[in-house]
Amino acid sequence: MSEKKILEYDVLVVGGGISGGEAALNLANLDYKVLVVEKDLSLGGKMIALSKVFPTLDCAACITTPKVSEISRHPNITIMFSAEAKKIDKLGEHNFEAHVHQKPRYVNIDDCTACQLCEKACPVSVIDEYQQGLIGRKAAFIPFSIASPRAAAIDITNCTLCGACERACPTGCIDFTQTDLDYVVKAKAVVVATGFKLFDPLKIPRYGYGKYKNVITSMQMERQLAPTRPFNTILRPGDGKMPDNIAYVLCTGSRDKSVGNPICSQVCCMYSIKQGQLLMGSLPMADVTIYYLHIRAFGKGFNEFYEQSKEMGVEFIKGKIGNIKEKENGNLILRYEDIEEGKVKEAEHDMVVLSVGVMSNSEISDSFQGESLVLDDYGFIHQNDILASPSETNIDGVFVAGTATGPMDIPDSILSAGAASAETTSYLRRAVL
Amino acid sequence: MEVEKGKTAKYRKEKNPVAKEVMENLKNFTKTKKRLMDALKEGDKTVPQLAEALSIPADEVLYQVMSLLKYGFVETGDIDDMDEYFYYKIKDNGKD
Repeated sequence: MSEKKILEYDVLVVGGGISGGEAALNLANLDYKVLVVEKDLSLGGKMIALSKVFPTLDCAACITTPKVSEISRHPNITIMFSAEAKKIDKLGEHNFEAHVHQKPRYVNIDDCTACQLCEKACPVSVIDEYQQGLIGRKAAFIPFSIASPRAAAIDITNCTLCGACERACPTGCIDFTQTDLDYVVKAKAVVVATGFKLFDPLKIPRYGYGKYKNVITSMQMERQLAPTRPFNTILRPGDGKMPDNIAYVLCTGSRDKSVGNPICSQVCCMYSIKQGQLLMGSLPMADVTIYYLHIRAFGKGFNEFYEQSKEMGVEFIKGKIGNIKEKENGNLILRYEDIEEGKVKEAEHDMVVLSVGVMSNSEISDSFQGESLVLDDYGFIHQNDILASPSETNIDGVFVAGTATGPMDIPDSILSAGAASAETTSYLRRAVL
Repeated sequence: MEVEKGKTAKYRKEKNPVAKEVMENLKNFTKTKKRLMDALKEGDKTVPQLAEALSIPADEVLYQVMSLLKYGFVETGDIDDMDEYFYYKIKDNGKD
């Protein structure tokens, strides 16, 4: 077996979403050499998949894409895609060693022109994860139209190895001989920006997700509302009907001890209100009803945004959903407790959106050898001193940015990444002084 | 071993046989695609009309028709009189 390649950087950033990317960019601008390890095929994490952001209704892609291209082009930043930090060991102050495993893409990124001829030639159609399973994609594919890098990849698990993509490729950049690569990365500091997972609504069977096709997640609606949407317009997945009476179920998987997540996800109220406003724009005849426990519109401009949605005609019902049943025509009956009237009621909608919560993505803590990375009660990364230095973890030299610390919105993630890069810089400076 | 550029899939196939499910998935997609395209050749149809004509669940029809739209085989037509369902048709009348 060949020796692992040894690479040296000032900072190892784990995660290439908006927080990891922002932290990497800040550090790179201070002339530190940064390695970003990203598990997916593109930068931008969850944000790049969103339609618009609250409360400004700016296009999410328009904010994310210039940022990710700046990260990609920065001379001090190296990015490894399809890669994971398997082992991170603190050998001493300013001395970390990480084992990074990279899966093959089967495409040489530098030679790929994103002509999409491989995509056209590929006969295989499988579920498109980026479009949240609403449509298919090819096994030779560009992850999504605004992916960075905009380069093809081969989904080897679903590939029939017919060779059509290779024959169609004008630059000869497809290479099925690529194998897994392992690196030893030496770094002086580590930034963990591994983000969050969305709550899986299959864990609440009484809402019928998976069984009733017109019950979708908020991320699926987010894709339907984006310019790079999966359908020709907003359609319900059960039968392609244009919906005209849409319900939102807030706190799906948040503030719910029965599913093991008692905390508030901080973003669901606002993204649901945002989607309500966007739906009013896309489907002017549609009714939108939001079933909520409490509306938490706590940020700058949030309450005004909430009031604005009411003025636009979004209906708000303080109610807890008991269960959802499907009618023969695909419409859904929501049985709920009207909290204000103290009555159990039923309402019919033709599509239901489950506003799924933010869950921790804590696997990275398993990678730490020796001193373990401490998590909080909900699986997010524990912050040693949340008020005085919010990016510090229990390991000196390991900092945390964004939703890896807990649920937060995009502006807070960017702020958190700023804090993480500042504290990392301060730690790195101590090595010199 | 030096593998000829442009023929690396064949090389991999010799070492790693393709799983049965993967071939099965390809077969199913090709078959469903043909059935949907044949039905649309007879005239523009909505998702429920295609589901009824082919006895395929409507959610499956939508998924496949939208995939075919993405792959460039199908395009969106007018909406029905009730403003509920769109008609879908063969792209450019089937011309390449």
